[in-house]
Amino acid sequence: MATGVKDGLAHRFSTSRGEPASIHPALLALVGLLLAVVLIPFIYLIIRAFEKPLPEIAQLLLRGKTLEVLGTTTALLAMVVIVNIFLGTLIAAGIHFVRMPRAHLLIVPAVLPLAIPSYVFTYTWLALIPSLSGVFAAAFILILTTLPYMLLAILVSLRRIDSGFIEVARTLGLTRTQIFFRVVLPQIRGSISAGALLSGLYVLSDFGAVSLLNVETLTVSIQNMFKSSYDRGAASVISLLLILASIIFISVDERIKDKKAKENVFKRLSTDDSRIKSASLKTLLISALGIYVTLALFLPIYVLISRFIGNPNPLDISGLASAAISTVTVSALGALIALLFSAPLGFLIATHAGRFSRVSERIILIGHALPGVVIGLALVSLGSKLGPIYQSIFLLAFAYALLFLAKAVASMTFSLQLVPQVLKEVAATLGKSKTKVTTSVVIPIALPSIGLGTLLVFLTAMKELPATLMLRPTGMDTLATQIWSYAAINRFNDAAPYALLLVLIAAIPTFLLSLPWGDWESKADGTKTRVGSLM
Amino acid sequence: MTSLDVSHLSVNFGDRTVINDLSFTLQAGEIASLLGPSGCGKTTLLRAIAGLLQPREGTIRLGTQLVGLSSVVLPPNKRRTGYVPQQGALFPHLNVAQNIAFGLSKKEFSQAEITKTISEMLALIGMPGYENQMPTELSGGQQTRVALARALAIKPKMVLLDEPFSALDAELRNELRSEVVALLRAQGTTAILVTHDREEALVSSDKVVLMRDGKIAQYGSPEEVYESPISPSVAVSTGDALVLSAHQAKDGSTSYALATLSAPTGAVSTNNGYVVIRPEEISVSKSSAAGVAGTLIQLDYYGHDAMLVVKLSDSSEIIRARVAGPMDFAVGDLVKVEHRGPIRFFANA
Repeated sequence: MATGVKDGLAHRFSTSRGEPASIHPALLALVGLLLAVVLIPFIYLIIRAFEKPLPEIAQLLLRGKTLEVLGTTTALLAMVVIVNIFLGTLIAAGIHFVRMPRAHLLIVPAVLPLAIPSYVFTYTWLALIPSLSGVFAAAFILILTTLPYMLLAILVSLRRIDSGFIEVARTLGLTRTQIFFRVVLPQIRGSISAGALLSGLYVLSDFGAVSLLNVETLTVSIQNMFKSSYDRGAASVISLLLILASIIFISVDERIKDKKAKENVFKRLSTDDSRIKSASLKTLLISALGIYVTLALFLPIYVLISRFIGNPNPLDISGLASAAISTVTVSALGALIALLFSAPLGFLIATHAGRFSRVSERIILIGHALPGVVIGLALVSLGSKLGPIYQSIFLLAFAYALLFLAKAVASMTFSLQLVPQVLKEVAATLGKSKTKVTTSVVIPIALPSIGLGTLLVFLTAMKELPATLMLRPTGMDTLATQIWSYAAINRFNDAAPYALLLVLIAAIPTFLLSLPWGDWESKADGTKTRVGSLM
Repeated sequence: MTSLDVSHLSVNFGDRTVINDLSFTLQAGEIASLLGPSGCGKTTLLRAIAGLLQPREGTIRLGTQLVGLSSVVLPPNKRRTGYVPQQGALFPHLNVAQNIAFGLSKKEFSQAEITKTISEMLALIGMPGYENQMPTELSGGQQTRVALARALAIKPKMVLLDEPFSALDAELRNELRSEVVALLRAQGTTAILVTHDREEALVSSDKVVLMRDGKIAQYGSPEEVYESPISPSVAVSTGDALVLSAHQAKDGSTSYALATLSAPTGAVSTNNGYVVIRPEEISVSKSSAAGVAGTLIQLDYYGHDAMLVVKLSDSSEIIRARVAGPMDFAVGDLVKVEHRGPIRFFANA
């Protein structure tokens, strides 16, 4: 005799009540295979690292240089994350709570810097201030680069706060400051943590900015070891240290999110009435945003344009076009592979609550912790065993897919969870088979959001540098590698057209991602699908 | 349309039994209401009938077809039950016509037949011309109508409505409820309506399934469950009820705060218990000589009638009586209270 509810749709859709649904064996096998693929670089690194004797590993980890690099990385990470939390919370709260005409459009210029990779920021600022270098300069550049992640994450969370809480707090005599700290902040803590995680992982994996500014972080160390001595064992040991740092960072975020797991009950109550009418706050917000947009958008664009115009060398149009085509092609292929990989993984996580889903999520998060340089190192080393795939754009696209799989899976999971259970049930009672429910209800509703997620992966892949440098086929240049090649030897004028083109191409998906999307999507469960929800 | 036979049905969520050995039948074309407090298992029963949950034990038959039992279950897409959940749950990416046609397979129906069905359904729900409207452009009531049309379009064996009017305001709710019931009756549709609104259950259905803790507390016509409740708690569930302490003597006479009435049958054992009286079965008068004296301590005026709360002079009992307007009562009036209805005596267990 059965002991519990077996949901009639349970093979595919779990219900809000009842026991977790059983996982179809085919899905189980597919997810297992994908997880094994995700873990390949990680396992490779462990094997390579432990080819060294333990005392040598210990010596490598505890030597002064490693500790110094670790200290620099930690200091940089702390500076960027702390400033980002402070500025991100302040600006996001300002955009959300200060009454301004068309306030929702303010987010667009604040998010557009996402189109500019850190090495382009660095290059433009170096062109302006050639003496710029060191850890503080790196922190400044990385704050400019990563602040939009924080802003988006917090804004999405602020939009979900029920204005009723704020009104009740006001009637109970709390001041606006008290309301912010006692009512608003506890509800956005999870998103602040998520934004901090995104910024932090960016800092940990960044190679371009720190390298150009002569700051030796773990990523730079790994790249140097790889390039100079081909001591891949040592590079693998340091890579594991970098992964450990990322995992610790992710764990802290997970703990914070777990405590706030219940906050994601979607509300659709307007906060219009609780917006603050204050001329001084309005001025402060516009000033803060103005300074940020000037430093992170206008100045870099100005430098790029002036360098482009002032370049005495003839423009290599064919090289530019070739790099642009390569960039778009390989990034699109990477986004497509990530999309295909994310479909079963996201489906499992979205529809089957259980231990296997939780373990799968953790493994994907480990993938999130693997910086580009580490994936690059692992795949370069494996590449020679991969036959024709080695030195092809497929390997680079595969690296992008692995690097950004966590983003793609998060987006897929979020998108699938947008589809209310009741719609699937109604479709089933109207005679639709399980496959038909998926094709006629789930996919059409989730598709716009999945598309945005894929766009986000595409955008991130276009800007990726370290893995691209290591894995691009011989003779193939992308916009990122061309910018890097010229900027590394201070030929800023020659880098300008590539950087401008990259920013222009990246600005299109960034602009699309910053817009509010689809009316019917938002009404399906009362939330708006925005990039912040996907991150 | 078809009949429904639910027999010894049990449903568990983990170790918790949500539906426990529940049985009832419904004739073809009948409308039944599942009435009960939140958490009593109404929606779970409906979902089990729709095939969205598999029972632990028992059987469900639609007509002669066995659709659900513990070991084998006919999936929801093969049952042809039109399911109308709360607020309609229209597919947000489809317009009204596409929503209505959703369950009509192009393998079974030609495009002309589908178009004809859409027109018929829109006419049926009084919304012709709305084919191209998106769900977000419709009011709550219109969404519920379209959801019903979508369910009826597949010519279902029965329609299952899960609190479809709960999100609507009172006026629209009553209006739409009348329309939907009239529509279901005109189509001769067998239907089950889940509700926690006792008035809605009584006015809408041929049968009321009164549920409590996963079991049927009483099953019968609206008149039966209202007029002849099987327990004081059932009486309270189906309408306002006054539960007074009572004593039944060996001769069959029943004494309670309002009267001592003799019963012709006699020959019963002595019992303490309760009598259940509906407020409209009590008359209140300022001038009558008959009845028990009391003081009017509260008056709740509803327009069409009023609820009077009277404290009896010779006992601690509080009596609630419903009187039709117009009236000339005021709090503090000395009144006489008289019971003019049947005696419903329930002995202590």
